[in-house]
Amino acid sequence: MSTQTADRLKLIWPPVLIAVLFLSAWQLLVVVRDIKPYLLPAPSLIAENFFGDIALMWQTALYTGTTAFLGLVFGTIVGLVMALLAQRFIVVNNLVTPLAAGLAAVPIIALTPILNNMFSITSRTPRVLVTAIIVLFPIFVNVTRGLIQVQPVQLELMRSMNAQPRTVLRALRIPNAIPFFFTAMKVAAPLAVIAALVAEYFGGPQQGLGSRIAGSAANTAYGRAWAYVVAAIITGLMFYLIVVAIERWTTPWTGRTRSA
Amino acid sequence: MSTATTEHAVHADGIWKIFNEGQPNEVTALQDVNLTVESGEFISLIGPSGCGKSTLLRVIADLTDATRGDMRVAGHTPPEARQQQLYGMAFQQAALFDWRSVRRNVELPLELQGWDKAKRKARALELLDMVQLADFAEHRPWELSGGMQQRVAIARSLSVDPAILLMDEPFGALDEMTRERMQNELLRIRKETGKSIVFVTHSIPEAVYLSDRVVVMSPRPGRITHIIEVPLGSERDEDTREADTFFDAVTAVREALRGRVGGSDARAKVGEV
Repeated sequence: MSTQTADRLKLIWPPVLIAVLFLSAWQLLVVVRDIKPYLLPAPSLIAENFFGDIALMWQTALYTGTTAFLGLVFGTIVGLVMALLAQRFIVVNNLVTPLAAGLAAVPIIALTPILNNMFSITSRTPRVLVTAIIVLFPIFVNVTRGLIQVQPVQLELMRSMNAQPRTVLRALRIPNAIPFFFTAMKVAAPLAVIAALVAEYFGGPQQGLGSRIAGSAANTAYGRAWAYVVAAIITGLMFYLIVVAIERWTTPWTGRTRSA
Repeated sequence: MSTATTEHAVHADGIWKIFNEGQPNEVTALQDVNLTVESGEFISLIGPSGCGKSTLLRVIADLTDATRGDMRVAGHTPPEARQQQLYGMAFQQAALFDWRSVRRNVELPLELQGWDKAKRKARALELLDMVQLADFAEHRPWELSGGMQQRVAIARSLSVDPAILLMDEPFGALDEMTRERMQNELLRIRKETGKSIVFVTHSIPEAVYLSDRVVVMSPRPGRITHIIEVPLGSERDEDTREADTFFDAVTAVREALRGRVGGSDARAKVGEV
């Protein structure tokens, strides 16, 4: 146990050290060069704002986090359904990549004002939809790939065992796609937070991170604006870490070398 | 087992396989192949790349169909044989599923056949015992060496207790020592189960050591050129590998391979398609 703890410490201290050095250099730079807060506020000022109103930080992050979570769940479900449909019709893997590229070129965030008009701007709905659409693409593209990219020999094996297409999907394609799904989720989860936050810049309820970053900056409360940015980073990181934890717990075989 | 014992394990009558027939890139993978594998017999298909040995195995397994000719597998057409699971198949790649334990990989064919859980498990453990991997039942495939993975694949191919085993270079990716051990294992399993086996290989000593008859094939077009009896009897062990009869058979196969083709590296010289 004690050696394990020591090993963990060995892993942890280098990034901690770098963070401390980085923040000290930043603080020093701001103080020595007398940099104005609207250019770059000192870490001490950001910390003061962050911890000074930690309850508000939490509430604000919770509001945007909820939008991101709803969008993430909704987008994931739609992305998975689309991938299952695509798997049936796109037999050739080569078609997935151009499709993905085409979809990635759609300026989704720019849809927010339109969605704000289509749905009530005072509700959470347009933001959840924008988040869902953004999340949908990485999920759809990666999971489709996972469903299609099975080893040819495994398909032949299934055929030799007289497996029907539905069984091949259940016993081979879907398990094969799970690592691809988690890869996509690790991109999609922090992306959902960013999408939910940016969607707030286009009007609507003001209690989220995006609204308050914009509001604080407009009111020259730069330390506070940066404190909300910190809250946003922490929220995104939490989303990511939760996905990693679920992955570790449910799919111990991912990241291993594939059997020959 | 049932009908299989009264029929030939495999009976190929005038099998042709032509890819892209009638087009400029037409390839005759199999030309008029006639072959009978007796029930309980061990047959190896050997020949250089492109001689159609894997294609022939795939026609037997109904993984591809013959262009012309009549194929019978345990008295049935290949699609019937596949649907009734009259054969089990092992490939060069073990093709195990990483998300299943070793035991549940062996259970897979039984699961597809709708066996209930307890029976499945009992059967899988029995087979893992036979391939001497009982202790690894709950391990994941990636925790096993290449040879062990291939033993799991063989156990899986035996799980529905098929009359016939079709093996496509199953030891091709293993090192020489592991390979020889696996050959002994396979001979033992064959003796214990009495399966008919069709075995595709690149290795002359492997074909001779394992087989009752070695079927020598040559490419362009893929066809059978010789069928060589191996007079080593049914009791074979490490000493067999050093016996004169063994070397004689190896020489016979080697000469047969050279006979028509002029050596296995001479593919480029022959252009009679």
